[in-house]
Amino acid sequence: MSVLEIWLGILQGFRVTALVTLYGLVFAIPFGLIFGVAQHLTTGPARFVVTSVIEFWRSSAVIILLFVFYYALPLAGLALSAMTVSAMVLGLNIGGYASQAVRAGLQALDRGQKEAGHALGLSRSTILLRIELPQALVAMSPTFINQLIQLVKATSLVSLVTLTDMTFRAKEISQIEYDPVPIYTSLLLAYFIVCYPVALFGRWVERRINPAREARRAV
Amino acid sequence: MTQTDDKPAVQIASLNKWYGAFHVLKEVNLTIPSGSRVVICGPSGSGKSTLIRCLNGLEAYQQGTVTLGTIELGANARETVLARRQTGMVFQSFNLFPHLTVLSNCTLALRRVLRMPRNEAESLARHFLEKVRIPEQATKYPAQLSGGQQQRVAIARALCMNPRLMLFDEPTSALDPEMVKEVLDVMTGLAHEGMTMICVTHEMGFAREVADQVVFMDQGSIVEQASPVAFFSTPNHPRARSFLNTLLH
Repeated sequence: MSVLEIWLGILQGFRVTALVTLYGLVFAIPFGLIFGVAQHLTTGPARFVVTSVIEFWRSSAVIILLFVFYYALPLAGLALSAMTVSAMVLGLNIGGYASQAVRAGLQALDRGQKEAGHALGLSRSTILLRIELPQALVAMSPTFINQLIQLVKATSLVSLVTLTDMTFRAKEISQIEYDPVPIYTSLLLAYFIVCYPVALFGRWVERRINPAREARRAV
Repeated sequence: MTQTDDKPAVQIASLNKWYGAFHVLKEVNLTIPSGSRVVICGPSGSGKSTLIRCLNGLEAYQQGTVTLGTIELGANARETVLARRQTGMVFQSFNLFPHLTVLSNCTLALRRVLRMPRNEAESLARHFLEKVRIPEQATKYPAQLSGGQQQRVAIARALCMNPRLMLFDEPTSALDPEMVKEVLDVMTGLAHEGMTMICVTHEMGFAREVADQVVFMDQGSIVEQASPVAFFSTPNHPRARSFLNTLLH
């Protein structure tokens, strides 16, 4: 089998890798935002509940969650598709990490920012949406790009719950050809080729969304 | 202004505040008539910043009342927000919003609180930027300005909301000496226009020139309250005398 054929074979799994990543983001972004903000704003029992949910998703092994949700939940009468389970488990796991970046970004802001907002008569929600979050999210954008890259790489686990992603295709080809070295080397490169542009995109985003810092640099 | 003409701008009655066991404000009573300029001074830790922060609800207090015009702070949440809108605050560390341009810093509250259309808000903001003498900086970001310019933006931002009362919490303490004057000049201008002002500051020259009342605090209490002439020439309280001595030497 030529290298080109190996590449084309692996590429057949790209669509699933990309889809799991995209659907994963559909879970990760709202979860990270809402729970990060909630952890920042709540106190007492409410904060305990929020923290518990975050810790469940952040501190569980993804591979085991994939198995449990895909193979065990149907026994309880809840059968989710492999794609749904994968997107949800990977997305909420990464979302759990992202929530901590959101919270840390909010907590790192100077107290004076919130006070200035209050002194101007702004509501708490306006302060959050117009003053705190824009600064926190920009400051944390490198972390979010990190987590996006981690999500792309983590999708290789979905081959364990029957999805035909790039890793699954590589395994298939390897079993047929019995020549793992070029195949897995190609797979390694394939993930790099997907992830590196994400990193470049991240740098571009960082420059775009932070006009204040750019302006300062230009002085 | 009609509402506050007969009522004092600020009335503080038996105000007490504790941080845990530490008694920061002890039985503070102070009445500030509309249109007057009060300078609060005192050694650090005397509670002056805490007091001024109580006046727009940035600090909670445990006993006593603060009444701004006709609104008693803390009586209900909506009125407290209303009182804040009528009170401008300038902080020692400026607290401009670094992710917004100078102009947007000034228009944010106009647009989000007063629901003013963008054009109207921007022309109002430009008016006040002109007043603090930095109209040409409108499209820059705070980090591109000097400290003195940033503080003047902060003053313009507060003035945009058409406050009845301006609070200044050590507005020049974070500034390089050569920038203190430009900020004090703007404040002096405001005073001459009849703005009610309460200012925590160590700028005794400003107090002498602009204030009509000097309030001296020590260990959480107001220990002396007098006209600047009386305060600077014949301070009564020994703590006030030693405070003035250290400032003048």
